[in-house]
Amino acid sequence: MEIPFDIGNISGPENARVAQPEALGRAIKNAKRPLLVVGSEILDDSLIEKAIAIGKKGIPIAATAHSMKGFVDAGYTENVHLTGLHELANNIESRDWMGFDKTGGYDLVAVLGGIYYSTSQFLIALKNFATDPIVRCISIDRYYHPAARMSSGNISRKHTDEFKKMLDSVIENI
Amino acid sequence: MEELNIAPSKIEIEALKNVVINIGGIEEEEEEWETMGPTPMPGIADLRNWDYKLLERYKPFYAPYCEMCCFCTFGKCDLTGGKKGACGLGMAAQQARFVTIACLIGCSAHTAHGRHLLRKVLKIVGDREINMGTGINIEAPLTRLITGIKPEKLSDFIPVLEYLEEQIAQLLDSTHTGQEGSNLDYESKAYHAGMLDSLGKEVADLIQIVAFDLPKGDPDAPLVEIGMGCVDESKPVILVIGHNVVPSVAVMDYMSDHGLDERIEVAGICCTAIDTTRYSQKAKIVGSIGRQLRFVRSGVADVIMVDEQCIRADILEQAKRIHAPLIATNDKALYGLVDRTNDSVDDIVAILTSGKEPGVVILDPVKAGEVAVRVVQITHEKRKELVNILTDEEFKEYVTMCQNCDANCIVACPQGLPIGEANKAAAKGDTAPLASLFDPCVGCGRCEQVCKKHIPIVDVILKASLPYVKSEKGMIRVGRGPVLDTEIRKVGAPLVLGTIPGIIAIVGCGNYPNGTKDVYRIAKEFAERKYIVVLTGCGAMDAALYRDKDGKTLYEKYPGDFDGGCVLNIGSCVSNAHIHGAAIKVAAIYARRNIRGNYAEIADYILNRVGACGVAWGAMSQKAASIASGVNRIGIPVVIGPHGWKYRRAYLGRKYVDEDWVVYDARDGSKVQIEPAPEHMLVAADTYQEAIPLIARLCFRPTDNSMGRQVKLTHYMDLSMKYLGVYPDDWHIFVRGEADLPLARKEEYLRILKEEHGWGIDLEAKKILSGPVRKMDVGFDATNLEELIKKNE
Repeated sequence: MEIPFDIGNISGPENARVAQPEALGRAIKNAKRPLLVVGSEILDDSLIEKAIAIGKKGIPIAATAHSMKGFVDAGYTENVHLTGLHELANNIESRDWMGFDKTGGYDLVAVLGGIYYSTSQFLIALKNFATDPIVRCISIDRYYHPAARMSSGNISRKHTDEFKKMLDSVIENI
Repeated sequence: MEELNIAPSKIEIEALKNVVINIGGIEEEEEEWETMGPTPMPGIADLRNWDYKLLERYKPFYAPYCEMCCFCTFGKCDLTGGKKGACGLGMAAQQARFVTIACLIGCSAHTAHGRHLLRKVLKIVGDREINMGTGINIEAPLTRLITGIKPEKLSDFIPVLEYLEEQIAQLLDSTHTGQEGSNLDYESKAYHAGMLDSLGKEVADLIQIVAFDLPKGDPDAPLVEIGMGCVDESKPVILVIGHNVVPSVAVMDYMSDHGLDERIEVAGICCTAIDTTRYSQKAKIVGSIGRQLRFVRSGVADVIMVDEQCIRADILEQAKRIHAPLIATNDKALYGLVDRTNDSVDDIVAILTSGKEPGVVILDPVKAGEVAVRVVQITHEKRKELVNILTDEEFKEYVTMCQNCDANCIVACPQGLPIGEANKAAAKGDTAPLASLFDPCVGCGRCEQVCKKHIPIVDVILKASLPYVKSEKGMIRVGRGPVLDTEIRKVGAPLVLGTIPGIIAIVGCGNYPNGTKDVYRIAKEFAERKYIVVLTGCGAMDAALYRDKDGKTLYEKYPGDFDGGCVLNIGSCVSNAHIHGAAIKVAAIYARRNIRGNYAEIADYILNRVGACGVAWGAMSQKAASIASGVNRIGIPVVIGPHGWKYRRAYLGRKYVDEDWVVYDARDGSKVQIEPAPEHMLVAADTYQEAIPLIARLCFRPTDNSMGRQVKLTHYMDLSMKYLGVYPDDWHIFVRGEADLPLARKEEYLRILKEEHGWGIDLEAKKILSGPVRKMDVGFDATNLEELIKKNE
């Protein structure tokens, strides 16, 4: 059993299933309206390239924190939308919100590169309150997120190459 | 007590036998200084209507920190998946209940602090008159607003404290199992606790200002040194920690009376430090709460004296570790020590200097002050040979011992800092990665408790960062206290019209996502842009640690007036009541609104007109929860750092729901669709780069005039481009007409409005033909309260 990246972050009786990258990629692929939510840590270790690769697969990207600057610098803003993580969670929970493209809400949210603890709270908010209709959440981050439905396991920063390979595998399966 | 009405009549006293007559307090007829408003000393439900106005627009958003409830023996109850607990409470209400309890803890801390101060100072200085000087007529805006009382002497705060204590008890009662079941009503109660907190803070700060002659709104309050490097270790050092300044005042007085000012260092951590320097500029500030463990571990302190709040619960263990005696001076934090309050000073000094007891309780602040000064002179000599910082050899041994396992320390660290990698680099001779952890580390020590190799990680980081620590020397203007009425007269109009684009109130604790420098960056950015930047508590301290290229700190570079482009240290946590006070004074002085017992009207005024935004970037404690709730209830939004998500609740607007953004025009009662201003009441940002444009966005108000809106829009757009690389996607909704557009970029913005947002634009005439939510109306009298329409009729 995986432990939360912040060891005290055990919120309740149900915790995320640790999933292989192939399964995570397929979950994104099989969703009708998936959304990739990225945070400021994608500006480290060239992770933004992976986010862009996912964006190029047609998955819209919610750029939280100041990650937008990374997309601007990389010259990729095609389906990248500026938002705050708190605002985004509030919007996803709302039946009135019609998404970034104004055509409807999302049925799957994948997180990558956010600060661990705020992302964890983002996920737990959606787990408990984005229920009508249900929005499924997965983590493709280097952290195990127990509040997600499926999550990658913890991958230490000293194994960043391994993490990038994991992301490549996720991307291949989208 | 039932009221007994006795009709005027002749009473034959001689005829009475065996009757005891008790005469209660004789009420003096109060001067009718202002018409009493509708809600003096409001109870739990009296401001519920106002709370619901806020909650309808800024709906509570919950992110449970725990999905279970373990409050009673019915539980534990699993609240996930829409399940209710055994008592019938659901997830949302449980989160709101928890927030209410957190706010009550915070509110109790400030109120009890005020009560404690009053008891002590009435004994020490007597019942002093409240005279705030010629610049201040509204001496206690929150007290007037909430209770309807105009305090003239210190004892006038007694009924205010009685009101606070009764309300706290009533609110706490509501959190008992089997009572309130509505999350919205719990939110209203959390707001109530927040409002009480603001009142408790004002009472506490005014008591200490009056009792100890602290600065009364002095824009030119003196500068003092701050930082871990500013303490002279060659002298005996008394370290004071906490929030209640009375014992520290006694230390300064004893030193002064005995000619020891230059021979002993008094250095403080947290708000006691700020308040001690308000009393005597001989004292120094080590820094905020995040520096506590590191400074104690450095061994510089020869005596540690603690009072209340924000002290490490293991302070006795830490003090023992460095062989420094501990003096506990407040009954809220006794640490299992023997109460020596009634012992002679000579005996206590002997006990502490002999090491027979590691610390003592002394609840008489004057005695505690004398003991601290006498003990420190002896322990300093005894401790001279002690070395508390790791030696080079020890350091090397520890970092080499680390296996970079990443198994324990990194998952124990609240920041997830890469300690193992840094140790590995240090083992190879590069200490820079370890030193770089010093500032983002919050100084909790969880890492070293779980290290399999028992490496004292806090000490290792401290050793690696010693050159930085020694050079950490900033300057801070001592807490000036309230904003002057005369300053409000000057800035009232530009603030309400928007030409001073906002008040940025940086408050709160040191639980930052990435170190102290973020607070400096935020303050600097807004000061440069001519916002009014006010700071209190840990935020005020941490912003003082950095210097610009000319070697100046923010407090040296910018004036301390309450005006655009100024940076003010208002004071300690309790002083941030004066930030509420400034907003209330704008309503009272500039708009001539009656404030007495008139909370909802004044909060409505502030919400719609005063472009202020709180920033609690390192919010950590329950006090920060109550502070934010109090600020929110009075109509001021707050941005918190990412750790703030853990408070479980935010208040977020939904700008795409039109009906949420309708207010009345008080002139005729018509409903007006407005832009989302301010958009949120309580919202977190992940990074300072995200926070800065967000703060600017939350300074918009419906009543901005065109010049004001131009200024605010300019900053919002610039800041978004600077920190996020793009213009914000919602800027257009704040445009009411071409006059709102910044002149320098008017053509560019008109083109964007036409091409990207489909607005009707006459580019040649530079006119907006269609698109805005509403037109600018200079006479617009925005209000959320129906009763204010009637009043105008």
